[in-house]
Amino acid sequence: MSTSSPERDALQHKSALVVGVGGLGCPAALALAEAGVGRIVLCDDDLVDSSNLHRQILFDQADVGLDKLLAAERALYRAGARPFSIELVPSRFLPENARKLARSVDVVLEGADNFATKFLCADACFLEQRPVVHGAAVRLHATVLCVAAQGAPCYRCLFEDLPRGAAAPNCAEAGVLGPVVGFAGALMADRALSVLLGDASVFGTLVSFDGKTDRARELRLAARARCALCSAERSIETITDDRYTAASCAA
Amino acid sequence: MATVRIPTPLRTLTGGEDQVQAAGDTVKDVIETLEKNHPGIRERLLDDKGVRRFVNIYVGDEDIRFLDGLATVLKASDEISIVPAIAGG
Repeated sequence: MSTSSPERDALQHKSALVVGVGGLGCPAALALAEAGVGRIVLCDDDLVDSSNLHRQILFDQADVGLDKLLAAERALYRAGARPFSIELVPSRFLPENARKLARSVDVVLEGADNFATKFLCADACFLEQRPVVHGAAVRLHATVLCVAAQGAPCYRCLFEDLPRGAAAPNCAEAGVLGPVVGFAGALMADRALSVLLGDASVFGTLVSFDGKTDRARELRLAARARCALCSAERSIETITDDRYTAASCAA
Repeated sequence: MATVRIPTPLRTLTGGEDQVQAAGDTVKDVIETLEKNHPGIRERLLDDKGVRRFVNIYVGDEDIRFLDGLATVLKASDEISIVPAIAGG
């Protein structure tokens, strides 16, 4: 979406949390800053590595070895068109901080590289009634899912629970192509801006992008009748550590 | 014959092809045809309870969970999409 002057004024009073300042979070945060979102919260605990540079567009060679958050903050202030604030959370998105972080903003953008964080973010956002945009990219495939504060559908409507075992290869094996993840990160920001400006039409949509054919398809999801998170029969009422054991990358 | 769009994580099983043709009257039949032509793909899509919970299968824009599941009847012109859970960035 493009933003007009009144929309930029409205965005000045809005806030967004970016979970994971990586290949998805970098372009997403940059787009939010350029659009005029007034408060951007970045959550990550990693350092910039040379292997990140092909896709994590806020960083360059001089940033290698630096704290990602500090490098991202500097790049965003350099790029932002208007005064805005950046808050840095030098931590992973964890069961102990998830709900507090989610409720501190108007929208959450989740670009984590592991399923545990994805499900944790989905749960925390629903429990705190915050909309969330989930992004993911592996090899030539990317997806962006936009979820309303009340879910229905939510991430668990789509994927139920963490994949475990041999069916979930890790990210290092899978690899990520820079332009594909860049497309997904930019689309995450686009969806988040729509949410911040009150456009409910994006809720419940899943965009699937194929970097080989450059085709993007939007699917409109339906709520799962017995979703553990957002249905009338929900069983998830709190965040507990044992629900989020690590699993990574692609089914 | 249905067109099946193959997501990147499963293309190692289709020789890199991003879409394949597969015969079958239902989604289940098409998956069986896929398995004959691309051994190993069925296990990535199904378990003993049906479609794996971190895989979604669409006919056109409709999730088969909201149609007739694996028994969903197909037309020759139908396009099947497989959307697996992915995490990465």
